[in-house]
Amino acid sequence: MFAAIARRISLSFLILILVSLFVFLATEVLPGDALDVSLTDDDLAVLTPEQLAEMRAELGLDRPAAVRYLSWLSGALVGDFGNTIITRAPVADIIMGPLRNSILLALATTAVAIPVAHFIGILAAYWRDRAPDTIVSTSAIVGYSIPEFVSGNALILIFAIWLPIFPATIVLYTDGPILEMLAVSILPVATIVIGSIAYLSRLLRLGLVEALVSDYVERARLAGVSEWRVVFTHAVPASLVPTLNAAALYVAGLLSGIVVVEKVFAYPGLGLELINAVLKREVPVVQATVFLGAVGVLLMNLLADLSIIALDPRVRRSAGRG
Amino acid sequence: MLLDVKNLTVGYRTDDRQFRIAVDGVSLALDKGETLGIAGESGCGKTTLARALMAYTRPGSKIVGGNVFLDGTDILALPDRQKHAIRGSRIAMVPQNPLSSLTFHMRVGAQIDEIVCRHEGLSRRQAQEKSVALLAATGMPEPDAIYRRYPHELSGGQRQRVVIAAALACRPGILVLDEPTTALDKTTELRVLELVSQLREQFDTALVYISHDLNVIARVCDRICVMRDGRVIEAGDTRKTFASPVHGYTRRLLDAIPRVNASGPVRPLRADSGEAPILEVTNLKYRYPATGLGIPFSPKKPGTLAVQDLSFSINRGRTLGLVGESGSGKSTVASVISGIIPPGSGKIAFDGVPLNRAAPERPADLRRRIQMVFQDPLSSLNPRLSIGRILMRPLRVFFAMGHEEARQEAARLLERMDMRAELLDRFPRQLSGGQQQRVALARAFAARPDLIICDEVTSALDVSVQASVLDLLLSMQAESGVSCLFISHDLGVIKRVADDVIVLQSGEVRDAGPTSDVFTAPSHPYTQLLLEATRNVFDVRPAASDEAALAVQ
Repeated sequence: MFAAIARRISLSFLILILVSLFVFLATEVLPGDALDVSLTDDDLAVLTPEQLAEMRAELGLDRPAAVRYLSWLSGALVGDFGNTIITRAPVADIIMGPLRNSILLALATTAVAIPVAHFIGILAAYWRDRAPDTIVSTSAIVGYSIPEFVSGNALILIFAIWLPIFPATIVLYTDGPILEMLAVSILPVATIVIGSIAYLSRLLRLGLVEALVSDYVERARLAGVSEWRVVFTHAVPASLVPTLNAAALYVAGLLSGIVVVEKVFAYPGLGLELINAVLKREVPVVQATVFLGAVGVLLMNLLADLSIIALDPRVRRSAGRG
Repeated sequence: MLLDVKNLTVGYRTDDRQFRIAVDGVSLALDKGETLGIAGESGCGKTTLARALMAYTRPGSKIVGGNVFLDGTDILALPDRQKHAIRGSRIAMVPQNPLSSLTFHMRVGAQIDEIVCRHEGLSRRQAQEKSVALLAATGMPEPDAIYRRYPHELSGGQRQRVVIAAALACRPGILVLDEPTTALDKTTELRVLELVSQLREQFDTALVYISHDLNVIARVCDRICVMRDGRVIEAGDTRKTFASPVHGYTRRLLDAIPRVNASGPVRPLRADSGEAPILEVTNLKYRYPATGLGIPFSPKKPGTLAVQDLSFSINRGRTLGLVGESGSGKSTVASVISGIIPPGSGKIAFDGVPLNRAAPERPADLRRRIQMVFQDPLSSLNPRLSIGRILMRPLRVFFAMGHEEARQEAARLLERMDMRAELLDRFPRQLSGGQQQRVALARAFAARPDLIICDEVTSALDVSVQASVLDLLLSMQAESGVSCLFISHDLGVIKRVADDVIVLQSGEVRDAGPTSDVFTAPSHPYTQLLLEATRNVFDVRPAASDEAALAVQ
């Protein structure tokens, strides 16, 4: 069991290093260095070559790429992403607040989506091909098909403009108190949750339908085990095993949805920060946010893998299997 | 009367929304402590009947008529709550496949506990004590340890014992066993059957034993019902029914069973041609690939030895039977020779040519000359190709035939296999299991091979279908003179097709020689055990083919 866990963690770590290399290379292959990218034509017209060389030396851009990568990586692993090019402020300080807000948004979304998706998925699977299933499955397809920028704007139109209950855009500062952040994030959360619930409940339904027609469920039923126990102790945990990996991939894919939603609601999170950094050509901030995004994806997958290890005793023993 | 079934009729809705009858007006009775066998081939409705005895149907099925009286009460008329209370406590089921019948993420002990907790209202501690005692009663050493295991940590036989323990947990008056040993090895089956008989007396339980295997029913049951198309066509005392079956179908079923202890060879032995053998295997060793933890740079565990120092040869035009149970290494031998897996150490010479490479690296003509037929025809036939395309492929690849010529040849092959040429445009899924296996055989013969490897080719088929497939194989072999390596766990089948036989256990040879010698005078205790496990207990009446053989002598 420990071997299986150690294997997953060491693999995740390896992938993280590869991702960091990729992020670094992606910004490295652009023509010019971080300084050239961030300076405007006007700046370049004013600055003398000596001043430019000085700035380069100050930013460490005159060192060979390999050295820069290693120093960036060793910093990134302990949370130091260097300084921004324009203001020379530590990147870590800039992204700390947005990171917290994005995690908050993700946690709030998960806290709503997972239980609701389970409830709906179980309902649909248990009454397969009957009225509850038809209703759920049809609305799920609709919910899943609407892109976030449409549902987000629709929610704003309904709940912020026609019925002014919630704010249309968020005017809080990046480091607003957590409770206030939560209070204003109801519409953004709702926007992401619609698609997530639709997708996750379909996924769960599929897994559970399969588990409910399995031999072990039939044996338990024929032994007189109560229907409640059959569903919740036999079938549901079994159905989670095939569902979890797909769910982790989906939640990872949600990151892009979060970027869109943060933009729509002007929510001060990592996604908004990324968009602004790209517009300002702040390469170190872009690197840091993309790197943190990758960490998020890896963590989600690791979490799914570890949950499967916890749920499925067969995986614990056979560490060699994929 | 303990159980009295009257005119029970069960139907189900098909995919195209028609209602079909699966069990058609079945009546049967069972007294306290009796054993009743229900025999029939796949699709005859015996499993549906078994479930209906517990007032249970699968989703989509429905009991449409009749009564099931348990101790005088019609359980079909009871409310759901009372039906649940009866299942597992007064009438219990041992389902078909022990490998998939236990919930994989729960410890086996918990799966027995929940039944006794439910029906007898015991506390968890009491339930655990009872479960451990039940596991002990099924003859498993260290029941405490078994109690804490997960299903995948147990062997097939152990899992079936757990399922039996769970079924007997509340001392039911009736135990329904639905093909309980079909997924198990022969020697394991024998042990499970002994256990069932012993527990039946100990727990004073009546048995309903459902099986397609008449041999097993003869071993366990006093009375038998033979089912066909949802109806009981013959019922009576087991011995009498087997000695003088009334219905023609019963007689055909009995005749189709390959016999181990029939006197003399079932078919004339093909003479040894005296030529060099077609296949010569010397000191073959095969080890499974090493497995590691998957952590980079971590040490690797060496794989287990699947085959140790195996030597044998197959003479031209003869059939070598390879017998063994699962895990004996017999399929590994087939895979090495056919080149599915890379060769291990040792020498394999095919017609003088060394087979030291895996199939993709062998010359095309060598690939053509060795053909293989697998156990499950459905998974070995490409589901997206029509039967015609499947059969034309080897013809076009190996003989460069044009489309028309190949199609004609494919039709000819199909007819040779007693199938209509119209099937050329069907897809594998649309054929029955027996037809699929015939197509797989036809595909192998299409390449005009010199050696054909049959790996458990009839294990997934009903006895009557098995008999016809074996007949076809034998006549094709007589016609083409192909040599054959025939792998099976069924000694009866081996006896019918093989000239020589090798008995394999844990990768080592236990017995070898001409089939008749090995079967009449087994030298190794393991062979004796295997023979004992397959012996036809009802063989009071010589089969028709045996009479013919005797007449020839």
